[in-house]
Amino acid sequence: MGDAVSAELSIRVRDLHVDYELFENRRAALRQRVATRTGTGRSYVHAVRGVSFDIFEGDAVGVIGSNGSGKSTLLSAIAGLLPITSGEVLVSDEPKLLGVGATLMPAATGYRNIRLGCMALGMSAAEVDERVDDIVEFTQLGEAINRPLRTYSSGMRARLHFAIATSVHPQILMIDEALAVGDRAFRKRSNQRIQAMLAEAGTLLLVTHSLGEIARQCTRVLWIEQGELRADGDPQETIDAYRSFSP
Amino acid sequence: MTIHDPAARLRLLTSDVSTSRYLADMWARRDFVVALPMEELRSSHTNTLLGNIWHLGNPMLSVGVYYLVFGVGLRADRGIENYIMWLMVGVFAFHLTSRSVLGGATAISSNRGLMRSIRFPRALLPISVVISRLLTFGFELSVLAGVAVLTGEGISRRWLVLPLVLVVHTALNLGGAFIAARLNDAFRDVQQIIPFLFRLLLYVSGVIFPLERFLNADNEGQDLLRTVIAWNPMVRILDLYRWVFLGLPLDLASVAGTVVFCAAFLVVGFAFFRGAEWRYGRG
Repeated sequence: MGDAVSAELSIRVRDLHVDYELFENRRAALRQRVATRTGTGRSYVHAVRGVSFDIFEGDAVGVIGSNGSGKSTLLSAIAGLLPITSGEVLVSDEPKLLGVGATLMPAATGYRNIRLGCMALGMSAAEVDERVDDIVEFTQLGEAINRPLRTYSSGMRARLHFAIATSVHPQILMIDEALAVGDRAFRKRSNQRIQAMLAEAGTLLLVTHSLGEIARQCTRVLWIEQGELRADGDPQETIDAYRSFSP
Repeated sequence: MTIHDPAARLRLLTSDVSTSRYLADMWARRDFVVALPMEELRSSHTNTLLGNIWHLGNPMLSVGVYYLVFGVGLRADRGIENYIMWLMVGVFAFHLTSRSVLGGATAISSNRGLMRSIRFPRALLPISVVISRLLTFGFELSVLAGVAVLTGEGISRRWLVLPLVLVVHTALNLGGAFIAARLNDAFRDVQQIIPFLFRLLLYVSGVIFPLERFLNADNEGQDLLRTVIAWNPMVRILDLYRWVFLGLPLDLASVAGTVVFCAAFLVVGFAFFRGAEWRYGRG
């Protein structure tokens, strides 16, 4: 950490473990619950197994790994959306997580979802009134902003979510495959916004299977495999190692 | 050279915060908790022909069915001066509670998308459900006011007390919604059982016929029924509404007991809900 003496930490993860209890995870019916008590035993999915790292302000960190390696679980745990089993997660600011699965209210219009999402993030109605036009403008959804969210394509949803999540100027932004579905114009605008955030000592955590994207955007890469940290370092070296692991 | 601690600004993100901190987080999102039910109200029933009229149509049809079966059919209205009004007050107020608790049961499971992307005090979800049911109850209250005038009860100064009655009633509904939310998150079967529990509760709450009818004679073996009625808060809540709209007698000591009971129920329900805060929205 020699050259990072003056940089402030934004995320510190120490020996993080995240388990899913399988039955609990499936929101088991009473019958199954009783069955587990009477002898079949409980089963766990050990999704993250003892991961540790430090991330500094201004870092753009890519997270790579095979499907089901625990990347999304790791991000959710850092965002405080998943309970951790053991270990420690410390952050300098409330992280904002953008995921593909995220949905707000499918029956409400895009415009209504922006208002609702911003309020859920902690804005008052007055603040939302003030900013909603800028957010709508950024999505560039045009007339579609007044259509119900359920009619949106995945790319349009991604625009909406990105605009909402970045409207609060988060210090820590985590993107889980959410931008891959955006078109060229939107990628360009979202990248500009991310770069501006990084320049202001923000932190980016990016999960994507597009290794080119990682090589372009990131200054550091974490490689997660089966819930464990395989490598942590220079983007090109880590990507090369990952490529030779899963050709 | 000064010693620099790069970790100085770091803090723990946890749902395990103090109650005052939790309440402060809830207060900071007070606009959200009103906007969410408004949105639900706006988008619910958009697929039905009559749209939002169903918020009123549903309880009105219930009243119609009970009136035909119990009023016209079984003559349960004997001894009640304004049975249609008496019945409507009971059905509407009782349905507010049953809809709040049933809505609370699914508050967590139906907002998983929101919980997966944004961190906020999860107690806001059952609260917003209860607020949404309270908003639709506004339609029903205006119908009650109209029927009160039409059936000759007239406008009364007692109506001014209605907001206080609503506060007490809402405390009870919130407590129930909190408890149902946690139970249903642990065992999904709960939402299937709740409607039947309320159907049972309906008959011991004096919603469609006066309970005194069964307790008049000094029957043996009525101890259980008497105990249930004595401890059933719905009986007292309905007494409050019937006092407001029909001027029926009210026992002040039992009103005080009801206020204390509902407040305690809210606190217990909230604590029970928070006990599993870390688990909501998992998976």
